[in-house]
Amino acid sequence: MKPISFITSVAAVTAVAAMTFAGATVASAKSTLEIVKERGNLRCQVGTPSPGFYNLDAKGEWYGSDVSICQAVAAAIFGSKKKLEIQSVSSQVRFTALANGESDLLSRTATWTLLRDSQLGLDFTAVNFYDGQGFMVPKNSGITSALDLKGATVCVLTGTTTELNLADFSRANKLNIQPVTFEDQNVRNDTYLQGGCDAITNDKSGLASNKAAFPNPGDHIVLPETISKEPLAPAVRQGDGQWFNIVRWTVYALIGAEELGVTKANVDDMRANSTNASVRRMLGVEGNLNEGLGLGKDWAYNVIKEVGNYGEIYEAYMGGGKLGIGIGRAGSANDLWTRGGLMYSPPFR
Amino acid sequence: MAIANGEKTAARSAPLNETSFIGWLHKNLFSSWINTILTLASLYIIYMVVMSMWTWGIANAVWIAENRRECFAISKDGACWAGVIIWLENIFYGRYPRDELWRVNLGGLLLILWMAPLWLPRVRDKIFIGLSTVFLYPFLAAYLFSGGDKGIFMQIMVSGAIVCLIGNTLHAAIGVFGDSSLPATLLRVLGKAEASDSNQRNTLLTILAIAFVAVFLLQMGWTTKFVPWTKWGGMFLTLVISGIGITSALPGGIILALGRRSKLPVIRVLSTSFIELFRSVPLITVLFMATTMFPLFMPEGFVLNKLVQVIIAVCLFSACYMAETVRAGLQAIPKGQYEAAHTIGLGYWGMMGLIVMPQALKHMIPNIVGSFIGLLKDTTLVSIIGLFDILGMLRSISQDVPWRGLHKEPLIFGAMVFFIICFIMSKYSRHLEVKLSAGANR
Repeated sequence: MKPISFITSVAAVTAVAAMTFAGATVASAKSTLEIVKERGNLRCQVGTPSPGFYNLDAKGEWYGSDVSICQAVAAAIFGSKKKLEIQSVSSQVRFTALANGESDLLSRTATWTLLRDSQLGLDFTAVNFYDGQGFMVPKNSGITSALDLKGATVCVLTGTTTELNLADFSRANKLNIQPVTFEDQNVRNDTYLQGGCDAITNDKSGLASNKAAFPNPGDHIVLPETISKEPLAPAVRQGDGQWFNIVRWTVYALIGAEELGVTKANVDDMRANSTNASVRRMLGVEGNLNEGLGLGKDWAYNVIKEVGNYGEIYEAYMGGGKLGIGIGRAGSANDLWTRGGLMYSPPFR
Repeated sequence: MAIANGEKTAARSAPLNETSFIGWLHKNLFSSWINTILTLASLYIIYMVVMSMWTWGIANAVWIAENRRECFAISKDGACWAGVIIWLENIFYGRYPRDELWRVNLGGLLLILWMAPLWLPRVRDKIFIGLSTVFLYPFLAAYLFSGGDKGIFMQIMVSGAIVCLIGNTLHAAIGVFGDSSLPATLLRVLGKAEASDSNQRNTLLTILAIAFVAVFLLQMGWTTKFVPWTKWGGMFLTLVISGIGITSALPGGIILALGRRSKLPVIRVLSTSFIELFRSVPLITVLFMATTMFPLFMPEGFVLNKLVQVIIAVCLFSACYMAETVRAGLQAIPKGQYEAAHTIGLGYWGMMGLIVMPQALKHMIPNIVGSFIGLLKDTTLVSIIGLFDILGMLRSISQDVPWRGLHKEPLIFGAMVFFIICFIMSKYSRHLEVKLSAGANR
């Protein structure tokens, strides 16, 4: 634990210093879009591999839902998702690496909070995944609600807000939960499986993917309570409104395409034959929605053509796809607003 | 009454106790009841450990599977080596493009080819071979690994390296089989063995120039695909970083150590403060500074390669540690040696290079190899700043969705790889010590 807390403090100092310099370094004559176009690729920051969001496969290629956001932005600018350099940055220096210009875009599981939005010199664009902290227990424990965890020992990862949320929840409900902290989630899982603690707490996406990897996934259940709000959104440096809009509207294009029924497979057909004015405007057949963004007319077409719509990305990496981590979507916050979720795109007009 | 027997009794064999295996057991393991108990208890513990490792790691292990779920389906209490096997390319080469892997392998082979003469008997001019490895091989390797367009400087260095490699190899072959050297053989073949010195030198330079021009023209048609450093990773990246760190540590350390013992105050103070500054800061801090803070101080748009920053940081850091090792070695040399060197008319560099350093370095070998091993293991810290070295790759396996949660097997595999490399290094250092101290035992 010691070295990591040291690293965290070093990182904190670096971050503060970075913010001090950020204004001077980043306020430049050139816009981010110009810099990216000149360089010929997008530098997109993800974290160290995390299931569902960003992962390396055995061939050394990146995949995951946050990686898809990177690919979508690259496609919007260049028309090809391949013009992309994925940077994997540890969570201690993620905001510094964005502030110092190393990354153009931060697309990793960063929770949108007031503090970060207002004090770190960055702007969160649009939520692409609603997560929340939950609990997992062995099925045979008979526990069916987080309120049954009175006096329980709970395994939790240290150094994240997870630990803090657990303490808040315990105090608010007078549960006297005993946290057992871990640095490494694999070690935490092993401890839990060997009976070292009564429950695990983590973001629900993480719980689902952990559970899927257990020898007997059916022996464990995720409790219904969600004790924190974790809206995850891509972030950009403050001060470049055009770049902010490009990233935000790329995410909205993914969601909007799903609302309008545009998929990777039918996007060509839609562009040629659709009579729906929203679809025609979004795909650049009519109107000039692209001008304010400084992108080509077919930017949204390229996004859908290259990576698919939001639902397709979710299915592939979060849902039941071959590389998915198996989190149900129907009725959850990540479903479309028309089906009771929170995914909602402002109109394309 | 004395019984005297003139005959010599036949030589008896040593008592059974001393020679037989049972005797050895009795003496060493079961000499008293307390030792017997300890022996049996230890044997039981060893048996338990070995058996459970055997059962888990070999007997019940799964070697071929598509994903971890399949491993579980075959065996729930065995290791799942299949994931490690499928990830082997990532572990060794990182994200290097799969159809360009031959370049990494070729780079390794060339290094072996280049350095092999250093260990062969009867090869002359080993110092020259060693220096060319340090100064020319890196350029050839750098181009081989990263590819892309060669600038004119790179073209010259690559050609020089190739000429040098061919020369080295021929020279070594001639040395081993003919007990001669390349220049001498060339001159004999050309019938100039008896010519004057300047004639000989001009001939050799002409041959060198012709070879260089020929190689230069040939390499102009040779280009490889550009591979950005961000695709480097795995064992390959670990060896690149630690290899450069190790190579530069010794020269850097010697210079710093001499600087610290210098009589010139400016040099002494500079060296001392440099050493103390880097030694009193953890490597991870130096790495964070180099990769995260450094870009903030640079002018707008100036983005230095992160790998280069890391390598520079590692080199500075290891040179400072090495400097103290070297200084310790220097202090072990008696003052008489320095005075003797002065007496026979050697200057400062002559004294250091010919008398003091050779003796001091011999004393330092265990420490030097110790720091090399430490450096090799320390470079795994780069996985924290987002480079996928071998440790970064091993840890990513447990996050890859098909292999979710597979974390023990990769780390055990990594431990074995590191053990093999470090063990070879330490065995080699032992061998060097014995070889170099041969004179002392005469």
